[in-house]
Amino acid sequence: MAEKKTQRKKRKSATAEEVVQEASESQAEDGETTGEGAAPTGEEKEGFQQLQRRREEQALDVGRSFPDKYRLSGEMEGASDEMKIELLERLVRTREFDARMRRLFRQGRFEGTFYSQIGQEACDVVIAIQLKQTDFVGPSHRDLGASVGKGIPLEALAAQVYNRVDSPDGGRYTACHYWHPEYWVMQPSTSIMMNWIAATGAAFGFKMLKRDNVAVAFGGDGATAHGDFHEGCNFAGVHNLPIVYVIQNNLWAESLPLSLTTAVRDLSRRADAYGFPGVSIDGNDVIAVWNATRQALVRARSGEGPTLIEMKTYRWFGHSDIDPADYRSDDEVEDWIERDPLPRYVAWLEETEVLKEGQLDEMRQRVREGVEQAIEFAEESPRPEPDSFLSEVFVHEYPGFDVRAGR
Amino acid sequence: MATITYIDAINRTLHEEMARDETTFLIGEDIGIYGGVFKATRGLLEAFGPERVVDSPISESLIAGMTVGAAMVGCRPLPEIQFADFISPAFDQIVQQLARYHWRTNGTYAMPVTIRTPYGGGVGGGVFHSQSNEAWFMNVPGLVMVAPSTVRDAAGLLRAAIRSDDPVLYWEHKKLYRSIKDDLPDGEEVVTEIGRAHVAREGSDVTAITFGFLLHQTLKAADALAEDGIEVEVIDLRTLLPLDTPTVLESVARTGKAVVIHEAPKIGGIGGEIAAILAEECFWELDAPIRRLTGFNTSFPAAKSMEDYYMPDVDDIADALRTTAET
Repeated sequence: MAEKKTQRKKRKSATAEEVVQEASESQAEDGETTGEGAAPTGEEKEGFQQLQRRREEQALDVGRSFPDKYRLSGEMEGASDEMKIELLERLVRTREFDARMRRLFRQGRFEGTFYSQIGQEACDVVIAIQLKQTDFVGPSHRDLGASVGKGIPLEALAAQVYNRVDSPDGGRYTACHYWHPEYWVMQPSTSIMMNWIAATGAAFGFKMLKRDNVAVAFGGDGATAHGDFHEGCNFAGVHNLPIVYVIQNNLWAESLPLSLTTAVRDLSRRADAYGFPGVSIDGNDVIAVWNATRQALVRARSGEGPTLIEMKTYRWFGHSDIDPADYRSDDEVEDWIERDPLPRYVAWLEETEVLKEGQLDEMRQRVREGVEQAIEFAEESPRPEPDSFLSEVFVHEYPGFDVRAGR
Repeated sequence: MATITYIDAINRTLHEEMARDETTFLIGEDIGIYGGVFKATRGLLEAFGPERVVDSPISESLIAGMTVGAAMVGCRPLPEIQFADFISPAFDQIVQQLARYHWRTNGTYAMPVTIRTPYGGGVGGGVFHSQSNEAWFMNVPGLVMVAPSTVRDAAGLLRAAIRSDDPVLYWEHKKLYRSIKDDLPDGEEVVTEIGRAHVAREGSDVTAITFGFLLHQTLKAADALAEDGIEVEVIDLRTLLPLDTPTVLESVARTGKAVVIHEAPKIGGIGGEIAAILAEECFWELDAPIRRLTGFNTSFPAAKSMEDYYMPDVDDIADALRTTAET
């Protein structure tokens, strides 16, 4: 324990010693990784790890250049300059947290796995930042950005990743399944699309209780094949519920290509079957995502009913961090890295003079400090008592129930 | 004082509780305009309107699963699964989400949801309208299951379930809907405590443990055996999960003999769980092997002749009790 603390202090105080840190990480990756079956072996392994690190560095370089054809244009309807900057900060915060957690996982600092969202952040953060705190979010397991976008402190999210007592669920549920009761982000289920149905129920509740709230549900392209996609959308259409359904089409359902999930080209066309609007957009174009989600939220809040938004996007890394994602071609990944939503948004903010010189660096510095603080908080948060999961099976007591006796 | 049927008791309690609590709502197939396939929800649409009495599409997963989000934002949902045989599409939502959500969220959210569902044989319904499939849910942590056997408990357990903050699966027996009547005083708010079994008949020679329609068959068998001097204690479980182990143990420790009777197949049924608890905690008090009298490990048959053979009847129950008592 003492040794660990020293290590952490060293890393924190010695940002100039990144070389040393990198070296110790490489060592951890070579010898001490807990990611079972994480990577290919032998000479390939070295290449794979180097490629991962290069891409992580690219991901963190949000001011980097990109092909002109991906330059953004237009205007974010109704967004103040302050909102545009705050949105950028939450996008950067999501990415920095994600990349940091990937490294910590490879070092074996927490158990389980990590579901990286790098590449898809705009699909989450842009809609989440527009919500009221009491609006309901039904995320899936990859929606870090929904939580960061809605303003959940990184400390709670880091403790969730580490399964520590300061996690909202005290470490009893599942790492990386971010949620927070005060921010009305529900706990995602690992079983696909339960959140879709629950968010539909929340929207029903808002309508029945005559509350001025909306619900947002997130799912992936693979999830549209699940029966609950249909049952939720269909019911919301019939009852004109205040909900926005977001499909992040990242082309791969774990290892399954989109062509084996559906014969439909644009997933938003499915909305036709439910009697509400559907729209397909570039999920890596922050302006397009802002405008589409803003309209959908207005529609939902004014009682006009649901909207289905398909956001075409890409996850740079594997389904989880023990997945080398070798079912995809390098060309495909590289192409999508060029379409990274963050540099495109940064460039647009600079062109429109919303983002001032030096402001991005300051922001990154601030975000990194916040991420480090959150990690420190999580690492210092105690591991849960071994038997602390034995409570809260029921709300009430029953004469025959005895959790230890097993009856 | 009014003499009402089991289904009247359910209908009346739904009316009373929905009037009492504006956060309650019903959702299910054919429950509104049609008043339910058995008319359990008759008149509720007229009384509470389409916002609170929701005729759902044929979407059992939605019916069960939407209650989680609705409960989180402050509703007290009362979903109906039209037949217990149709509950399997809702299984995932019930066992993985609804039942576990309180635990998963470290006690942050309660799930005050009561799922009513008609079950049981003896009505000529064939395999999809006759099953007693409560055992599918027996090892689901966080789920409560009640199965009223009497008119009074149909009202009392439903009221307790609706007011409970735990998710309750409420099994209503189709064969009892209109075959039993009782006097329930108007305006009396009958509440039956969840988790407590009821000793329906006291006896000293053997304990019969059962619920639902078979409670009534067992009581008839006990009457018959009494004429031969065999005194049967009959326990009506009322709550199936968590089982009222103290009541069962107390009785069996006294009689030394136990027979568990249910409609469901024997393998993996509730009878096995009860037998295991008795073997673990009451072994030295036993004077005879624990016996289980159940449906067969087949699907539920349709033809009347087969159905009669499948269901334990009064003679079967009397034989089982007599054999055990005389061991």
